[in-house]
Amino acid sequence: MTNWRGFQFAPGDFGAAFVSALYSLVALPIIALLGTPLAWWLARRDFRGKPVLDALLLLPLLTPPLALGILLASLYGPYSAAGELLARLGVVLTNTAPAFVLAQVYGAMPYYVVTARAAFEGVPRELEEIALTLGKERWQVFLEVSVKLARLGLAAGLALAWVRALGEFGIVLIIAYFPHGIPVQLWVNLQDSGLDAVYPLLWLFLLVAMPLPLWLGMVSRRRGLL
Amino acid sequence: MEIDYRLEQPLAIEARLTVAGFTVLAGRSGEGKTSLLKAIAGLLPAAGTPYGALAPQRRPIGYLPQGYGLFPHLRAWENVAFPLAERRGRRTRAQALMERLGIAGVAERYPDALSGGQQQRVALARALARAPELLLLDEPTSALDPATRDAVLGELIEEIRRIGLPTLAVTHDVQLAAMADRMALMVGHRIVQEGTPREVFAHPVSAGAARLLGYRNVLGGRVRGLDGLFAIVDLDGVTLLAPAPAWASPGTRVGVAIRSQDITLSRRNAAAPAENAFPVTLASVHEEGLSLRVLARGSIALDILLPRGTDTPGEAALAAVRPAHVHLFRPEE
Repeated sequence: MTNWRGFQFAPGDFGAAFVSALYSLVALPIIALLGTPLAWWLARRDFRGKPVLDALLLLPLLTPPLALGILLASLYGPYSAAGELLARLGVVLTNTAPAFVLAQVYGAMPYYVVTARAAFEGVPRELEEIALTLGKERWQVFLEVSVKLARLGLAAGLALAWVRALGEFGIVLIIAYFPHGIPVQLWVNLQDSGLDAVYPLLWLFLLVAMPLPLWLGMVSRRRGLL
Repeated sequence: MEIDYRLEQPLAIEARLTVAGFTVLAGRSGEGKTSLLKAIAGLLPAAGTPYGALAPQRRPIGYLPQGYGLFPHLRAWENVAFPLAERRGRRTRAQALMERLGIAGVAERYPDALSGGQQQRVALARALARAPELLLLDEPTSALDPATRDAVLGELIEEIRRIGLPTLAVTHDVQLAAMADRMALMVGHRIVQEGTPREVFAHPVSAGAARLLGYRNVLGGRVRGLDGLFAIVDLDGVTLLAPAPAWASPGTRVGVAIRSQDITLSRRNAAAPAENAFPVTLASVHEEGLSLRVLARGSIALDILLPRGTDTPGEAALAAVRPAHVHLFRPEE
């Protein structure tokens, strides 16, 4: 399907790849830092209002991304009360780098949390308890036992979140049309130049997207490395 | 060491007992023995002494759960080194502990490549690395190979005695209690009896304790009279002599416990033993390993275990039991 003879990148393709890779690399640690404790908490603690939190978490998964983008824009976009307030503080969450990353976090974090929570639920509670009786503090138990035993699931969740963040289109389209990441650039290429301008960028996308999930899979399967 | 713990959840449990040397707490499944150990370790909410006010990570205990709870992502030596805080010398100290327990050779292996006995020793070494004041063992026999169980366990108990660490082991296996320095029995979520195995095995305090100790003949009777150190007890149509407890007086209802292997059988017309002999009819005879398990009917039903090489005397027989082997206890209200 790729027109190899006429293989040519459109203007802005490499810029878009750079934007996608860079912002996803920013979004992923945010997702991991916020999502890992949240997932453990959801897996281990029972509290009132947990179903509400569950529902809130599922909402971005169930809502079509485009609709979610519109919802978020009306929440903190330039014409909303929150958006005005933020703008007065000098924070613009539309068509800026923070907006882009925020859109990615919204889109991708639920995938990570749902996967990570299942991974934590698979860690025998007894091993966490034993670690406590061996004199470890709770945060040490979390890092040295829970996270390490859940590492396969956590790595899978991160890989999933990475792919989601890179491929995020709907939310980004509404919240952060600029700067273009690869998905929006694909759309622009299709509109401006037709199919031939899509395939080269798609190859570039795979090249950017593939290494991290592969690396995560390899590392998490090697015992003793983490 | 005196242990006194009270739990509400998941079961209402009351346990007060003395731990000295290797102490075994025996009870049936569902008595809450595991919950008691977890409470002492601080893993379940409970009130008690010692350590009741401390967080689990502050309690100087070594807890070996059923299945040992080794960390599958760590090598044997890394498991042992887990509780050691300072980075320097961890390896050396772990290695020294493992050498002491005879498992230095498996230091590089992951837990799934260890035998049950080796896993137990790694778990013990890991618990010792924390320098505990009290060791808690949950069903220490359950993950062991039946063929080598007694030998492995015997060595473990010896090792624990050498270290001189007070140890509380809970088990449903009363045979393990026979190897202990002290034992206690849990019936109805509370401790009903404690003492040395010799005392406890010989003097069950209740029907529940007797059954737990392996007595299969647990009967009811009434004291007819006292004859010196002995009580004359009437059971349905049979009169037995038994050592009289201090509380027994004529007319008292008593429980009677007799071990299956303490009953002998002979022919009806043979020279009858002078005491505690009565006619029975053999209802069934089964081989049980090298022994014979006999169920006898008569005025009372009896479970009898005849030793190797004994012949059954035919359907009509005379059963006898030495007075010293008839144990009286207070019946439950």
